[in-house]
Amino acid sequence: MAYRWGMAVDLDKCTGCEACVTACHAENNIPTVGSQQAARGRAMHWIRVERYYEGNFPDVRVKFRPVLCQQCDNAPCEAVCPTYAAHQNEDGLNAQVYNRCIGTRYCANACSYNVRFFNFFNPEWVKPLNLQLNPDVSIREVGVMEKCTFCVQRIKAAKITAKAEDRGLVDGVLQPACAQACPTTALIFGDLNDPNSRVARLSHSPRGSKLLEDLGAEPKITYLDKQPWHEPDTY
Amino acid sequence: MAFPRRKAAGAWPYWALAFLFVVTMATAACEFASPGQPSGAADRSRWGTPAVFTPAHATAGDAIKSFFDSRPDTVAQPFDFSHQIHLSKGAVCTDCHTGVEQGPRAGLPNVNTCMICHSQIATDRPLIQQLTKMQEQGLDLNWNRVYDYQPQAHVRFNHAPHIRAKVACSTCHGNQAEQTVARRAVNMTMSFCVNCHKEKQASNDCLTCHY
Ligand code: SF4
Repeated sequence: MAYRWGMAVDLDKCTGCEACVTACHAENNIPTVGSQQAARGRAMHWIRVERYYEGNFPDVRVKFRPVLCQQCDNAPCEAVCPTYAAHQNEDGLNAQVYNRCIGTRYCANACSYNVRFFNFFNPEWVKPLNLQLNPDVSIREVGVMEKCTFCVQRIKAAKITAKAEDRGLVDGVLQPACAQACPTTALIFGDLNDPNSRVARLSHSPRGSKLLEDLGAEPKITYLDKQPWHEPDTY
Repeated sequence: MAFPRRKAAGAWPYWALAFLFVVTMATAACEFASPGQPSGAADRSRWGTPAVFTPAHATAGDAIKSFFDSRPDTVAQPFDFSHQIHLSKGAVCTDCHTGVEQGPRAGLPNVNTCMICHSQIATDRPLIQQLTKMQEQGLDLNWNRVYDYQPQAHVRFNHAPHIRAKVACSTCHGNQAEQTVARRAVNMTMSFCVNCHKEKQASNDCLTCHY
């Protein structure tokens, strides 16, 4: 059976350390653009950690929410791409084919989660940082849209090894860089089609909710959070 | 006032106008539509990004060359290696391209790989003596790649699964028994890959190769 990759993000576990952000940059050759361009909204982070403050000083609670591409089943970015560069692949990944992208940026405008990034510049790495580039990931050039791929290079590699060893993928072994780096295991990645996988069970948790669920994009990422109706007194 | 009358544009031969048009458009395309090169080292146009034609072709010249398929078939190599001789003596591809069954890259042999056999075999030939000398001096062979993708093509290829699927080396690399220094015998276009994947019922999902 085909895979259907998804993720569960446990917001009660996330400490906002941003290890996931760093890991993602390293794994996926994501360039930085410098402070000036970042101020103009041209920074690229396939995953970011949003901060929310609850309550008034001094009783402030900070809440962290890692936001990455939600790999929507009903993705608004796919419908608007004139070149089919953004499309759903057979594993339910929302794929971005860099070769096809002509940089209309429609997808970034259509995306409700603000997780698609346009390359305004050719990437540059200060030496010797160019030596740490991941050879398994394309380096995107100027004029191309990019976004979280769920570390498709790792998925590919794991599938190839599994096939060579004539076995299926083991749940929890294959992880994208963010999930692997997370010290509190707040990010859980896996196959939603396998009812026994951790992520499939967590996706049905009563703690779960989807980001901007009422928009109908049907994200494959579930956010787990203590819901107000669990313990009304605490809120 | 009598300015010396210049010839009207209509008097230009059509081929010259056409030529001018092509040159202007190609230059403009280079200048404005500039998706580019990944290295920071490329020279910069006045727009601050390298002058590049399309994602797949670094320059307009490259695009035209690729359109007419005029890439040279041979690549100069540091050493006059003959595939023909080795294969006729019973060597097989995996003897030297050792990575091909395990990973993405087949691997190009270094001097030590050559010397596994050539410390004994044909030691009297000038080329082999040159090789022995290189090993003694700690030098290595700087092979040039025969088949290559532009980084802008965003293509990934993994040898191992193809070998496991029993695709013969010659399917993509031509009959090496007829080649001395390896030539680009097969033109690896996308349709070349896609057709074979269709035949063998392998996945033709874009993410199979492009990521
Ligand atoms: S690495 Fe884990 S704990 Fe740290 S910010 Fe990311 S999700 Fe939160």
